[in-house]
Amino acid sequence: MGSSSSDMSHIPDAQELMQETGFSAAHLARLHERFEFLDKDDRGELSPEDFSTVSELAMNPIGDRIIAAFFSPGQQAVDFPSFVRILAHFRPTDANRSRNGRNGAQQEPANSRTNRLKFVFQLYDQDRDGKISREDLLEVLRAMLEMQVEEEQLQSIAERAIQEADLDQDDAISFDEFRKSLEKVNIEHKMSIRFLE
Amino acid sequence: MPSRTGSHSPAGFGRSAPERGLLLLTVLVLLEGSVLPLGAASSPDISHHANSDKHQVADVGHNATKKPFPVLAVEYDRVQIPFEISLWVLLASLMKLGFHLIPRLSSIVPESCLLIVVGLLVGGLIKLAGEEVPPVLDSRLFFLCLLPPIILDAGYFLPIRPFMENLGTILMFAVVGTLWNAFFIGGVLYGVAQIQPANPSDLHQLDLLPCLLFGSIISAVDPVAVLAVFEEIHINELLHILVFGESLLNDAVTVVLYHLFEEYAGVGTVTVLDGLLGVISFLVVALGGVLVGAIYGILAAFTSRFTSHTRVIEPLFVFVYSYMAYLSAEIFHLSGIMALIACGAVMRPYVEANISHKSHTTIKYFLKMWSSVSETLIFIFLGVATVDGPHAWNWTFVTVTVILCLVARVIGVVGLTYVINKFRIVKLTTKDQFIIAYGGLRGAIAFSLGFLLNQDHFPMRKMFLTAIITVIFFTVFVQGMTIKPLVELLAVKKKQEAKRSINEEIHTQFLDHLLTGIEDICGHYGHHHWKDKLNRFNKKYVKKCLIAGERSKEPQLIAFYHKMEMKQAIELVESGGGVKLPSAVPSTVSMQNIQPKKPPPVKAAERALPQLPKGREEEIRKILRSNLQRTRQRLRSYNRHTLVADPYEDGFGDLLLKKQKMIELEKKIKEMNNYLTVPAAPPDSPTMCRARLASGRDTDFKPAQRQKGNKNGSDPQAYSVKPTSDRVPTIQVDLASPQSPDSVNLLDEFRRAEQPRGEAGPDQGLMMKPASAQSGPNKSREDDESRDQQQKLMRCLSDPGPSADEDEDEPFLP
Repeated sequence: MGSSSSDMSHIPDAQELMQETGFSAAHLARLHERFEFLDKDDRGELSPEDFSTVSELAMNPIGDRIIAAFFSPGQQAVDFPSFVRILAHFRPTDANRSRNGRNGAQQEPANSRTNRLKFVFQLYDQDRDGKISREDLLEVLRAMLEMQVEEEQLQSIAERAIQEADLDQDDAISFDEFRKSLEKVNIEHKMSIRFLE
Repeated sequence: MPSRTGSHSPAGFGRSAPERGLLLLTVLVLLEGSVLPLGAASSPDISHHANSDKHQVADVGHNATKKPFPVLAVEYDRVQIPFEISLWVLLASLMKLGFHLIPRLSSIVPESCLLIVVGLLVGGLIKLAGEEVPPVLDSRLFFLCLLPPIILDAGYFLPIRPFMENLGTILMFAVVGTLWNAFFIGGVLYGVAQIQPANPSDLHQLDLLPCLLFGSIISAVDPVAVLAVFEEIHINELLHILVFGESLLNDAVTVVLYHLFEEYAGVGTVTVLDGLLGVISFLVVALGGVLVGAIYGILAAFTSRFTSHTRVIEPLFVFVYSYMAYLSAEIFHLSGIMALIACGAVMRPYVEANISHKSHTTIKYFLKMWSSVSETLIFIFLGVATVDGPHAWNWTFVTVTVILCLVARVIGVVGLTYVINKFRIVKLTTKDQFIIAYGGLRGAIAFSLGFLLNQDHFPMRKMFLTAIITVIFFTVFVQGMTIKPLVELLAVKKKQEAKRSINEEIHTQFLDHLLTGIEDICGHYGHHHWKDKLNRFNKKYVKKCLIAGERSKEPQLIAFYHKMEMKQAIELVESGGGVKLPSAVPSTVSMQNIQPKKPPPVKAAERALPQLPKGREEEIRKILRSNLQRTRQRLRSYNRHTLVADPYEDGFGDLLLKKQKMIELEKKIKEMNNYLTVPAAPPDSPTMCRARLASGRDTDFKPAQRQKGNKNGSDPQAYSVKPTSDRVPTIQVDLASPQSPDSVNLLDEFRRAEQPRGEAGPDQGLMMKPASAQSGPNKSREDDESRDQQQKLMRCLSDPGPSADEDEDEPFLP
């Protein structure tokens, strides 16, 4: 796995990517290697089938959602920059802010708390209506509990969850309510993959 | 960590009489202090008297002179040891009580300091009385009786998740930090001892190895002291688990170093081979201890699987297995503390899934009680042992030791943090480092280890003991007292309110899955990957073996949900029934909100409820009330084997009334709601009643006879997740355990009521669960369902006391 910076030539727009996502050259090279590994037919982009070759994802209750998150709606392929941009959400937070300063203060880095939460929110909200409705929540619960409990229990759990979080009483969880319900959880810590720092 | 002292100081009394409290305290101390020497003094007299008596009687037997029959005789000898032990325990408990009656004192001075002072006083009194101070901090007593309860309490309630997440850091501090401390202190002390040419004291006699031994004794952070002090400052979870975890895990290091140096101090040299053996020994000690603990933990979990019929002794298994783990580890000189921790941590998830609610409460309270008393006793004994001596004060040695302890700790923490932060996601700040360094308290373990030293091998033993005591006093008094204001001053993050919501639970699990997935995509076998694998293994194999019945399949989310529901139902009932509607109660979406917002699709499923005339409601209520009270009287007989008599008994009538009120209110809401998925907290009971009444059936309740039919061979604790039955987590309050043949099962009555409903068809009563068209062939399921309900009931019943502590799945260390 000893990619050196000379491999950067293989990667299009490496510099911009690095600046945008905050990954270092070594990380980018490593991710590119992985990308190429997954890209079985060497097309330069990944399709859903490529993701399914990762065997553990099949066992993951929300595996299909995760795969779907990589693809923009309507598209069937994801190229390397998009791949990296998604993974940038899981980069551990920088201790120093100077890196982000270079970026231009307007653009929040992908691994800020808000952006991370937005990513997770979209995983819940499959119909993309900006809220987690009861149906969305039920889908998630069904997937996670893997048919071990029956419908009424799921309904009651979903009911309770929405009651707890729903502050404006519209029977769905908006992004702000979602964020509020997670305020005690240390998202930066939980959503960081160490080797990506 | 909820305070183990459970402060319920009667505020009025305390505030109005702090002097009275102080007076009471001194009186108590004097009393206890005087009885003990009396006890010690009287025994030789008595035994002498008894002896002479015996001779007299023997002589007398020949002469047959009759002495008057002794109406009142004093024979202290027989009960001396248990008597004195009880006296000490009583003293400890009264002290604890007393401190909370004096409000201001307990907020300034941590309890441990006060207890040491009390110990000093008592020791002083005993000495004044001219008696010999009993060797209270005898190492055997300490290590075998006083220490295990505290460690078990800590281990059983150890918050696993933060512990595992920070395991690397904790190990670094425990192992490397302690080693550094030991060698630094030992080495520098030796150096200081050598460069004292002018000092005619016998410091020169001090060899390197005894110095290192001393260093290893004094360097270990003490879990008892840490617990005692940190408990009161409510610091955030991370720091707490770091310091506390370190204090637990450094036991292995201490054991190895201690034995290594003790072994070779006589010989005078330690070779490289010995060092290597020491390292291997460390691994053996640490891993062996954990292994022993884990084995006993699994045994305990397995045993608890079969205890469904003998609930009364369930807590005993937990305690005995843990204690055996400790003792077994001690046989082989493995780390007993680590064994105890491993045992508690391993057995807990499985045991808790198997045992009844009451047993759970019992375990919790016994552990807290024992550990509390132990801790108190330890500190008092420290005080007494200080008075006892033997002391050999050496200014140089002692002062250098104290300074070195502080310096070594600070350097160690700073250095290690620098290295550790390279590997941590959440870095340790300077504030954190300061607290970790400052929280390195020494305690009774160091003293006991010093006490264990053989005087012949270690002529400097007295000096060591004096120095150890000084360091302990310094850390406990100075650091213990100042840490609270410092925490305030530095604005260190405090412990958060640990109430977990269902949302957090769902999202945390979701995030776990997400992170595992992302790790898999990246091809990185990280933290989450292994955790996921472990969970799968656990679910597939381990849970099946160790958890009884159907609960082995219960997903964690459901278990959590049930727990929450139960807690809330209990709170609801206790808080006055259905008079007010807390908005978080799931089944009672607030009445105002439902009205304007009925979603259109629900209307289709709406049914018109037969409205129950007011008179009928009253009737039902009266019937219920009278019936239940009748049964209650029957239950008064105390049956040891079934624990029928429960703490609820006195307030039971009120409880039921409140419950009924809540049921009525629920009913009213349901009339308005009529939506699909109401997880009703009370069952369909009133509606079923209504339905039955409306259909004109028999409303007669025949409690006892019908009950018997159901009871044969059923496992009341079996949790069945039936795919098609209307299983909703419902909370009922039941009178007694189902084993008692006299008990009424409320639910059975209502279930019985449900039966005719199923046959009567859909135009009956409430369609709360539209999917429950299967209610027809219910008869065969009766047993299971009732078992189910009973099982839920049994889990629900607990005495009203313990709600103050949070013992959720990811608890903070209590």
